Amino acid sequence: MDIDDLLAEVAVDSTPQETRDLQELTRCWVAERVAPEILPWPKDLMDSVLERIQRQIELVEDQTGNMEPKTNFKLIIIQTELERFKFLVRSFLRARIKKIDAHPLHIKTQHAASLDTLYPLLSSTEHQYLTSHQSLLSSHYSSSFLGQFPASLQRLDDTTGGISMVDKPEEDKAVFVRALRDVGEVFVEGTDRKFEIKRGDVWVVRWSAIRQWAVGTGTGDVELI
Amino acid sequence: MYGEAANKLVQNAKRTQALPHLPPYASELVRSITREVRDLDKDVSNILAPYSGAFNPSAAPETACALLVNHLCMRRNKRCLLAYHRVRSDKLEGYCWEGVDVLESQNVQGGRAGAGGEGAKKDESSLSPEEEEYVRQYSDLLAAYKGQWTDIDLTGSLEPPRDLFIDVRVLKDAGEIQTEYGSITLTKNSQFYVRHGDVERLIAQGYLQRLS
Repeated sequence: MDIDDLLAEVAVDSTPQETRDLQELTRCWVAERVAPEILPWPKDLMDSVLERIQRQIELVEDQTGNMEPKTNFKLIIIQTELERFKFLVRSFLRARIKKIDAHPLHIKTQHAASLDTLYPLLSSTEHQYLTSHQSLLSSHYSSSFLGQFPASLQRLDDTTGGISMVDKPEEDKAVFVRALRDVGEVFVEGTDRKFEIKRGDVWVVRWSAIRQWAVGTGTGDVELI
Repeated sequence: MYGEAANKLVQNAKRTQALPHLPPYASELVRSITREVRDLDKDVSNILAPYSGAFNPSAAPETACALLVNHLCMRRNKRCLLAYHRVRSDKLEGYCWEGVDVLESQNVQGGRAGAGGEGAKKDESSLSPEEEEYVRQYSDLLAAYKGQWTDIDLTGSLEPPRDLFIDVRVLKDAGEIQTEYGSITLTKNSQFYVRHGDVERLIAQGYLQRLS
């Protein structure tokens, strides 16, 4: 343990929970927008962020009408902050919805497999959305043309004929990562590349190679940028 | 035969991706491709009928080849149809998210074409009936999902917010709106300095223009 680690520990403890939540939310938002796969739903974080947004909205509603210049000014600052928070959450949710729409069947099976873990892939509302959207789509297809097809060709998740109909996100896509802690040696599968990631390093790596250390999907030793 | 129509359909879909609006539904093509698939399927069962389930590909390679071609064509046709419908439904979903009322604007367009009287049919909708149904159901689904995030306003702007208040100019009369600072009457050509969140919807709907 060197001086940097000590300093880092002190720094983390002295920042209030609110700031850390904001940092965490920003990190999740960036990660979700860059990662090719959908990341597990950060339930605790979202719960506390949403609760805080709710509280601030109530505060703003309470204080409006108060014409004292000082509170009025404070309100404007609160509302600006509120708008920014809302933007982060909105953009985050929309990024997830986009991924859900792009690879619905793949994510559905992944979600089912992750239900027993501590952090399921989707929130319950997202799962609801996924299922109803999927049933809408398939009924649309079947009423448009699929219903008149021979029975053996009516499935949407067919894997016969050498090609799987279920589309997957490209896991080998390159991502930019920054190491928050020392990771050690990383080995890129399928190649003979090996390298060491130290704290503060920035690398361009395949997502599949770095996934196990990333924020959200792994130990949280590296963050996506 | 053998995937030609499907090829046209995919080209149509590719073109659709780059277009700002949705071209008319190619119902004729879709129908003929579906027919082709059914014919191919019939062919396959006709070929297989004399073997009564005991067909051995290595014994009759030429028959096996015909079967394979038929099968591949059917699968390809299915893929093309799926791709075409997917592109269109993606576009329709995009309209739903942006808050554009597709069905409404379709009717307006149809009305205009009818008024032009160039022998245009009355319901010149570019959506198939199935698609109209799909749009209706998807909007419901979206509204339900959005309803769970009332504080966030999911369909709001995806541009990071800069200022709380913005200058807007009124392009169309929009009547009176209520804000936290009292009510404003939006009459055409007037200009206001208002809270962004209050007028975001109106900007999206084209009543107001944002001045930078």
